[in-house]
Amino acid sequence: MLDRNDDDEIRRRFNRRALLVGGTQAAALSLVGWRLFDLQVLGHGRYGPLAEENRISVQLLAPKRGRILDRAGRVLADNDEMFRVVLVPALAGDPAAVLSSVQRIVSISTEDADKHLRRMKRQSPNLPTVIAEGVSFEQVAQLNLLAPQLPGIRTEIYWRRRYYGGAPVGHIVGYVGNVERFGVDDDAVLRLPEMRIGKSGAEAGFEGIVRGVGGAQRLEVDARGRIIRNLDGTEPAPGRDVTLSIDQALQQIVLARLQRERRAACVVLDVTTGEIAAMASTPAFDAAEVAEGITEQSWQRLIAAEDHPLLNRAVAGQYPPGSTVKMVTALAALKAGLIDAKDRISCDGAFTLADQSYRCWKRGGHGRMTLHEAIRSSCDVYFFELARRVGIRAIAATAHDLGLGELHDCGLPDEKAGLVPDPDWKRGRWNASWLAGETILAGIGQGYMLATPLQLAVMTARIATGRRIKPTLERRVHAGPRAEFSSIDYADTHLELVRAAMLAVVNDTGGTGANAYLGPGRPSIAGKTGTSQVSRASSETAQSALPWGQRDHALFVAYTPAENPRFAAAAIVEHGGSGGATAAPLVRDVLLAVLDRADPSVTGSAADGVVGRGNPGREG
Amino acid sequence: MSYGSASGDDVGVLGKLWRVHWPAIIVVCLIATIGTAAQYSVADGSFQPWAERHALRFLVALALVLAIAIVNIDVWLKLAYPVYGVALLMLALVPLAGVEALGARRWIDLGALTVQPSEVMKLALVAALARYYQWLPPQLVSRPLNVLIPIALIAVPVALTLRQPDLGSAVLFTVLGLSLMFLAGVSFLYFAAAAAAVVGALPFILANLHDYQRRRIEIFLDPNQDPLGAGYHITQSKIALGSGGVSGKGFLQGTQSQLDFVPEKHTDFIASIIGEEWGFAGLLVLLALYGLLLFMLVLMAWRSRNRFSRLLIAGSAMTFFVYVFINISMVTGLVPVVGVPLPLVSYGGTSMTTLMIGLGLAMSAYVHGQRPIRGSELGPFL
Repeated sequence: MLDRNDDDEIRRRFNRRALLVGGTQAAALSLVGWRLFDLQVLGHGRYGPLAEENRISVQLLAPKRGRILDRAGRVLADNDEMFRVVLVPALAGDPAAVLSSVQRIVSISTEDADKHLRRMKRQSPNLPTVIAEGVSFEQVAQLNLLAPQLPGIRTEIYWRRRYYGGAPVGHIVGYVGNVERFGVDDDAVLRLPEMRIGKSGAEAGFEGIVRGVGGAQRLEVDARGRIIRNLDGTEPAPGRDVTLSIDQALQQIVLARLQRERRAACVVLDVTTGEIAAMASTPAFDAAEVAEGITEQSWQRLIAAEDHPLLNRAVAGQYPPGSTVKMVTALAALKAGLIDAKDRISCDGAFTLADQSYRCWKRGGHGRMTLHEAIRSSCDVYFFELARRVGIRAIAATAHDLGLGELHDCGLPDEKAGLVPDPDWKRGRWNASWLAGETILAGIGQGYMLATPLQLAVMTARIATGRRIKPTLERRVHAGPRAEFSSIDYADTHLELVRAAMLAVVNDTGGTGANAYLGPGRPSIAGKTGTSQVSRASSETAQSALPWGQRDHALFVAYTPAENPRFAAAAIVEHGGSGGATAAPLVRDVLLAVLDRADPSVTGSAADGVVGRGNPGREG
Repeated sequence: MSYGSASGDDVGVLGKLWRVHWPAIIVVCLIATIGTAAQYSVADGSFQPWAERHALRFLVALALVLAIAIVNIDVWLKLAYPVYGVALLMLALVPLAGVEALGARRWIDLGALTVQPSEVMKLALVAALARYYQWLPPQLVSRPLNVLIPIALIAVPVALTLRQPDLGSAVLFTVLGLSLMFLAGVSFLYFAAAAAAVVGALPFILANLHDYQRRRIEIFLDPNQDPLGAGYHITQSKIALGSGGVSGKGFLQGTQSQLDFVPEKHTDFIASIIGEEWGFAGLLVLLALYGLLLFMLVLMAWRSRNRFSRLLIAGSAMTFFVYVFINISMVTGLVPVVGVPLPLVSYGGTSMTTLMIGLGLAMSAYVHGQRPIRGSELGPFL
């Protein structure tokens, strides 16, 4: 009957080990026992008096949150002063009776009253419970008048965050929410239930500035915890205001233009300061709706919506940048001395490497092209060959120099880093060797490479100025000259070559970005189209014949005025078809609106009603 | 051996109840009584809001212990792997389907009731490991592959809870799992090697700490650096304990705890209330009761005739021990504040339910454990 696997030897081994474990446990419990002896018996002389002095209680005071303003001083986020009624059960005696007296002055539904009473039963009677919020000043006055008959009741001031900018600044301003998780290292004031912290956008990005510093009131309490008198304390220091670089009225125009597309995003940088002059992403949301008691249902709908309205595509949308990175490949090759302005590469419509064929978007080929012509016509084969010659590491280095694959800390915590692939990255991510064909694809911004519209705008600004422009969402009060940005390490002649080609993209016949032309008498514009493939089918079928979700992404980057750059822009229209047809006119309209509101010296005339020269070209 | 008909299967409900280790039940009741008294005291001498609910919860849980105890051990043996699988699945689903409670995603909403997968896992891990060693012939426990399997059983839930993040549960899983492996007879060499590896890696880990982690350690070493933040808990708790002295200030007389100086006083820091009001003597009695319970559990394990039962009992004992040790160490400032309750004394239903179900399983193992289970009766999985 005996289980041979559980014979006496096995049991003895278990018993020996159980003894060992039990002994360890006994030793560990003795250790804490000794520690208790040390604290309680040996330390009694030291801690006893401390406890006697411990009649001072510290009450934390919440700071008032700083406002968020736009560059014109319009208030985008502010605090409303509100009143609320608080009940301390321990002082009230009969909380239910006091509550019903309060109900005669302030309307509290029977359900809410029951809920409050139930909660009070569950927690310490010394803990104040908020029984009514948003109480009017008259009601507060009445309550204070009746204070002697309302033991345990007090009225308090608190602030509620309000948002005024609407959807045009929803992504940028963000919103606040409850402190969900209190870290041991966090500011102690975050423990206060009324504290709100930034959850997204500038509210989160500038949290350190707008939050302020909590105060503390020291109180003397009696042995039952009742307050005897207020001792000294420090006032809370309110948070500072933050002035953003954007203009709410301009944002309205930009968002309205973007909303003609289903999903799109756009960023405009002031290249003299790095300020973000405009930034929009559609679909958008209104922070006021999120902040002011959004129902669980609408919140879930917002989170789950197919088009992700909470996503700020301008900084968190990562897309294959397509042909907009051809300038990167070009500058890498120029810097390496592999080509000059006169060298030609022949395009016959396809490029072959290791038995693999890579097609140019133009089936018949472009013929023999210089760098200038290749950028203007966005020839793919030219850049396949260039990428092959210069290699992935040089392309990646130039991409980083121009701000791709980097976080720019512009003030929005949702900013994403994009991706500039190189062999080390691939080894770490996929544990695989880099393939020559992947260099070819990287050369035209396909394959692994990903960039955000913000990064593309930074890239354009750096090409336009030759300086390491850093984007910021905060208005620069002392906007110094451009010289404060260090120079990027590329020869002026090389940059000029690329800039001239970008000018030709918009202004020459055969340029792919003609739709971005601002109009006669208006500032000149230089740019580059990009069309990034989403599905394999897209190269075979006409874009309009494809389902929306399989169409190519349309991109366009530009700066203006071409002679003396002031603004750099980047836009993406998801599944917009071709960059030249969809994104270029969008950037045109946005830049016209931006120039219109900017310093009149840089812009020619009024912005509306301008139609660019139609050339809905398609390119790869 | 001829236990025969007395093997625990056919003695009826009353017979099984008679076999329950009643002295251990009495000790548990004493601990819970101390807890209820402490809850009464924290609420300023009132059964509301905590003491009454605490006592009721304990009585319900006690009924649960007895109900589990009379269920045949074979049922738990069969359920061990399925429950482990379900617990693992729930843990994996928490980031997707979890409800955000107190900022940490640890709960899953199953329609009517919310369950905390890491609590289910505390029981399931013990049962699964016990089930594994019941099946595995004891001569083979130290073969490398046979060591790797239980390590995987432990490591997967540890990794999943670390991701939540729930450091406390991850530590408990590790301690529970490793101690069961040790008790099952895995060779000393493995533990020595593991210990050496940890010691070897320590300087490397310390050198790579984040700033905030360093700061946490600094505050732990010198709570005065942050008297209103993390250090506040420790300082106030020490003052409350130290002012209690040998015999305490008397029931309901503790000023420190009553005055809200001690935070979380009815949950994680309940020991500082007891220490202040009943002094060193009171806490020593409480510690002795826990020690007595552990001792009885060890005796129960010794008397069991199959490995599944022994490890189930050992798992319950280990859980009690880890909770008590970490909680008292935390309250006395020996380890940083981690949020571990004092078993059956701290207010809160979650940990009490887990501990009592674990105790119920140990009782079932004890009641039915007189009968050896043959390895041949047991497939590797079913």
